[in-house]
Amino acid sequence: MIETLTFLLGGTLLAGTPLLIAALGELVAEKTGILNLSVEGMMAVGAIVAFMVVSGGGGYWIALAAGGLAALAVAAVFAVVVIFTLANQVAAGLAVGILGLGLAGLIGHPFEAQTVAPMPKLPIPGLAELPVLGPGVFDHVPVVYLAPLMALVTWLVLTRTRLGLLLRSVGENPEAANSIGVRVRLIRFCATVYGGFCAGVAGGFISVVSATLWADGIIAGRGWIVVALVVFGTWRAGRIAIGAYLFGMATLSGLLVQTTGVAIPSQLLTSIPYIVTIVAIAVLSMNPKLTWLNAPVSLGQPYLPSK
Amino acid sequence: MKRALLATIAAMGLAGAAAAQDLTVGYIYPAPVADVGWAKQLDLGREAVEAAYGDRVASVVVDSVPEGPDAARVMNQMVSDGAGFLMLGSFGYMNDGIKLGRKHPDIGMIHASGFKQTDNFGTFTARNYEGFYLGGMAAGMKTESNIIGLVGAFPIPELVAEVNAITLAAKSVNPEVQVKIVWINTWFDPPKAQEAARALISQGADVLFSLHQDTPSVVTVAENEGVWVVNTGSDMREYAPTKLLVSVTNDWTDYFVREVGKKLDGTFSGADERGGLASGMVKVVAWSDTLTDAQMAQIKAKEAAFIDGSDHAFTGPITDQDGTERVAAGEILPDAEIFRINWLVDSVDGTLPK
Repeated sequence: MIETLTFLLGGTLLAGTPLLIAALGELVAEKTGILNLSVEGMMAVGAIVAFMVVSGGGGYWIALAAGGLAALAVAAVFAVVVIFTLANQVAAGLAVGILGLGLAGLIGHPFEAQTVAPMPKLPIPGLAELPVLGPGVFDHVPVVYLAPLMALVTWLVLTRTRLGLLLRSVGENPEAANSIGVRVRLIRFCATVYGGFCAGVAGGFISVVSATLWADGIIAGRGWIVVALVVFGTWRAGRIAIGAYLFGMATLSGLLVQTTGVAIPSQLLTSIPYIVTIVAIAVLSMNPKLTWLNAPVSLGQPYLPSK
Repeated sequence: MKRALLATIAAMGLAGAAAAQDLTVGYIYPAPVADVGWAKQLDLGREAVEAAYGDRVASVVVDSVPEGPDAARVMNQMVSDGAGFLMLGSFGYMNDGIKLGRKHPDIGMIHASGFKQTDNFGTFTARNYEGFYLGGMAAGMKTESNIIGLVGAFPIPELVAEVNAITLAAKSVNPEVQVKIVWINTWFDPPKAQEAARALISQGADVLFSLHQDTPSVVTVAENEGVWVVNTGSDMREYAPTKLLVSVTNDWTDYFVREVGKKLDGTFSGADERGGLASGMVKVVAWSDTLTDAQMAQIKAKEAAFIDGSDHAFTGPITDQDGTERVAAGEILPDAEIFRINWLVDSVDGTLPK
């Protein structure tokens, strides 16, 4: 029983962390009005580049940063196409996402099915000795502790700072922002590549921290969950964090229930996280106030400065 | 898809250059050829064919071909470029392959794990359950918690037969054993396979089976967490130097060489090949040296009995989870039943969809 709880807590944090990091990046991009659907591809690029760095003897932090930067480059391609040449964001996002997946498979070919040593853990002194909570929550790699902090900082910046106001104004009403001298396209570009960086770090987390291996297709749809999580969280950092960990926990619970031999079809159990996500989005959409208050008004719409 | 296309263009070049050979053999794999895994084992078969026939054969290889329209395009392209023999490395290539075979009665094809045969379209399937029976014996001997954990892809007959073989084998050497199984319901999601492995470890499993996980996902977790592991496909010793109990591997080399040889002689016809330990299509390798001599002797005796046919993995009495007797004492489960098995033996702590 104790091992089960420890596993559930620890596994939830491990599964939720990359989803949360990527979703917080996507949140910032979407807050400025840019819907980037290429998360899956960006995560794959981040995953292989980070893996190549660690497998070449580089450090884990450098690897995560390199993964982030590689995905940032992919996001920059997307950003130029949709912000400066005004391409349709959905189509461009899908295209760049497929490009990223193909690119990751191509450069990752020599590394297929290879493994790396796991990133060293950083048990929190004093807390890691606690029963259940200690090994479950306070015995992880540092990135796992940083993810909730990142959610807090994202929330603070978006809602309590001038920078946040600037980002939101661009997403709410680019015309108005432009008329008072805000450089709408520059801000959108920066927010989009920041989102790419986060997706790359998240992909790197999967390849070098949690799975410790590379295989083509390792992201396996998590990038799409990230996109859904931003909607699920109604564009609020706190709700997105809850959603990311909830999704992780739902996945693990489904696997755990199978180990007990309860007579529920495994297909149903493995689809529970997706059902939870769909139901949550449907329920949230039924309350228009909740969505309208936080959804960026110009999301997905191209903008050309009128001057 | 883009890569498949590029590879096809490369293949066209190769086939053009190889027009002087007696036979061009096309190989289509569903996954990239890595150091280990399904595609790697198939590719070892290609190497054996080239070694056996030298200049008489030329090879064209396209890997990472998704099942569906891409696969149909790649195989059509290969044939129009002059390939006379195709090895289709994934179940989902079946219908496209058969269709192509009808259009071109002069080419020969062999297809992995399918169930339809025609005059020029043969199938091959490994009796992995024989290998897993031996792995199950080792697991039953090694476990201290008496809990064995299985990570499976999909509950299809091939895997269900393996689960049953593992359970029967473990029980035969250790009646206290309990078998827990988690189906992840995807062929490919390494992080999820690892989560399933950790879930099983948290439930007390100290021996894991990685059933048809192409990457060393479960194997890596086992090594890091310090539990024993048995894997499928390739020898994964180097990924778990201390905790790999044994690998149940597939060796297609003899079969590929034989079938390509028949095509060269003009005697090829589509057959249904099901190879186990006896034909060498299933090889159980990399036994952990922590197994005692007495334990190894017991396992090897069973292996010898499977090979000479004096024993069978599914010898009765076998009772399923509902308590129904499926195989009477002394009887053997017929082949037709093994390859469409849809029930679990009693004492498996998991379920199948009804």
